[in-house]
Amino acid sequence: MKTKIKGIYIPSKAEIVEILDMTPVIKLFKIKPKRQFRYKPGQFVMVSLWGVGEVPISITSTHGLHEYIELCIRRVGHVTSATNLLKPSAKIGIRGPFGNTFPMKNARGKDVLFVAGGLGIVPLRPLITSIINEKNNFKRIALIYGSCNPTEILFKDDINIWQKKGMHITLTVERKDKGWKGNIGLVTEYLKRPKLSFRNAYAFICGPPIMIKATSNGLSLIGMHEDNIFTTLEAHMKCGVGKCGHCYVDGKYICTDGPIFSYAEIKKHSLFD
Amino acid sequence: MRNSLVLDKNYLSYWLRQIRQKMSLIAPIRVGNLGVVLKTVENIHEIELNCPASIPSAKEFLFPQKEDMFRLSEGTVDILRNDTKRLIFGVRSCDISAIALLDRFFGENFVDDYYMSRRVNTIFISIVCNNPEPTCFCLGLGTGPFLKSNFDIQLTDIGDRYIVETYSKKGSDLIKDYYYLFSKPKKSDYETQYEILLSSQASFEKRINLENARQKILIERISDPFWDWIGRRCFECGGCVYECPLCTCFNVLDRVKSEGSGTRFRIWDACMFKGFTKIAGNIWPAEKKGTRIKQWYFHKLLYYPDHFGKFGCVGCGRCTITCPGHIDMATIVYKIDIGDKRRR
Repeated sequence: MKTKIKGIYIPSKAEIVEILDMTPVIKLFKIKPKRQFRYKPGQFVMVSLWGVGEVPISITSTHGLHEYIELCIRRVGHVTSATNLLKPSAKIGIRGPFGNTFPMKNARGKDVLFVAGGLGIVPLRPLITSIINEKNNFKRIALIYGSCNPTEILFKDDINIWQKKGMHITLTVERKDKGWKGNIGLVTEYLKRPKLSFRNAYAFICGPPIMIKATSNGLSLIGMHEDNIFTTLEAHMKCGVGKCGHCYVDGKYICTDGPIFSYAEIKKHSLFD
Repeated sequence: MRNSLVLDKNYLSYWLRQIRQKMSLIAPIRVGNLGVVLKTVENIHEIELNCPASIPSAKEFLFPQKEDMFRLSEGTVDILRNDTKRLIFGVRSCDISAIALLDRFFGENFVDDYYMSRRVNTIFISIVCNNPEPTCFCLGLGTGPFLKSNFDIQLTDIGDRYIVETYSKKGSDLIKDYYYLFSKPKKSDYETQYEILLSSQASFEKRINLENARQKILIERISDPFWDWIGRRCFECGGCVYECPLCTCFNVLDRVKSEGSGTRFRIWDACMFKGFTKIAGNIWPAEKKGTRIKQWYFHKLLYYPDHFGKFGCVGCGRCTITCPGHIDMATIVYKIDIGDKRRR
């Protein structure tokens, strides 16, 4: 049951505690909200910058594990460019968390495959962390992660930890540089690399729209069930609570019905178009 | 509970004058050659009693075009909320039906406080349309010309008197204080009312069947070239969306006075506008005009029935009056229903 919440449009204050440069355009913000809240993997918050606007940003930290809420933001639009200029101890507004979560419980006892492209690792990170932390409940866990070039591989420390804990990891880049000895190419070329029983496996995908499209199609061709392929979509949002109508596609509000949809739902509602 | 009373027309202005002492009175008033608009009444005799549905619709009193959400000054947040008591007199059945649906939309899951605080403080007195306009098609949708439920107070003009029906508690409370103005209807009054309702129903010129169009969309799948063809006649003015009593999209903006102070407000937005769905990184789901028009019609003809069990159209005909390209709801539904050679 969904509960009724009041004061849905009023952002609460949050303080930026630490900023880490991931790449020249991507920064990791550790923020401390005034009002603590629980959140689940895959949910997002509306980050509000006074005078600039609000943007939906996925939470990349895990509730209970990380001290602060971590948001990984790339400089692309108005608000994210303004966020990029902020310094530690700056105050921002946040609303949330909004959206649904990944169906982690359903994946128990099965193989789990993560496919991430570029910044797509961000919403998947809390899910990967929570699944690895209860590894015994799952069979094999694998990650295929594609980036533009080796310097743009995010969360390298986390990836090392995941690998140590027994996750099968395939890293691939589109353009290699001098030091790179790994795979080259798109993630779709490496979908069969992890030895999983695809028929029963669960897949969680995130990345640019074109990559999500190609990957989910590729996975269903390998033999995965379309109900077991999950991805998180993004859209223009102003409210995050299913009122402003910007993210309304084919009878679904990306913000309240999503952002996580199964490939079967996406196909049914043609959410890609 | 639906209750009927009779009010002599001579008492109407007295009644409204009495009510105006308690709350602000808004009613249709003719403004120059602009037509009829809903405005705060200064002189009771200015109220237009026999007018078509006003343009713009009554939704702007519950969901204004521009609404301040909160004020920020030196780090403190003032939540702005409008809770003036209002009586909106003379709206039509179509608007009341639309508001009943808006109540459900804004009240589900996350409750929209701004809408609700206005809504609980607003009472509507609707008037039955004795002479529907040529653009009206509420009959086929069950949203007019008179209502059987979900209204506060409904008046039916039966010559020199009004039949006053109350449905909600808010409505009957408003009558209770002025019981001496009302009398019990005679049998002949009911008969006159019934005749008027029949003649009103008979005088509709447009017979639009949205259900047929919905079925055709679901079964035959209207192709994208049809929508692109419609799109060629769209000016992207957003008139249909702004006038529609059921369109609720908005944008949120900040008006900064100085650093750290100012107002955040929301303002109507329209899915017909080009940048509506564009997101950073140059991803643009509905770039084509046809796609946007298709989204609007699908929302009203398919998604509304799926979610609320009612069409997202009340047949007020405002889009018919407003649209400069003649691609309003009635025309498109007619084209889909009856058929158009470019449809397939």
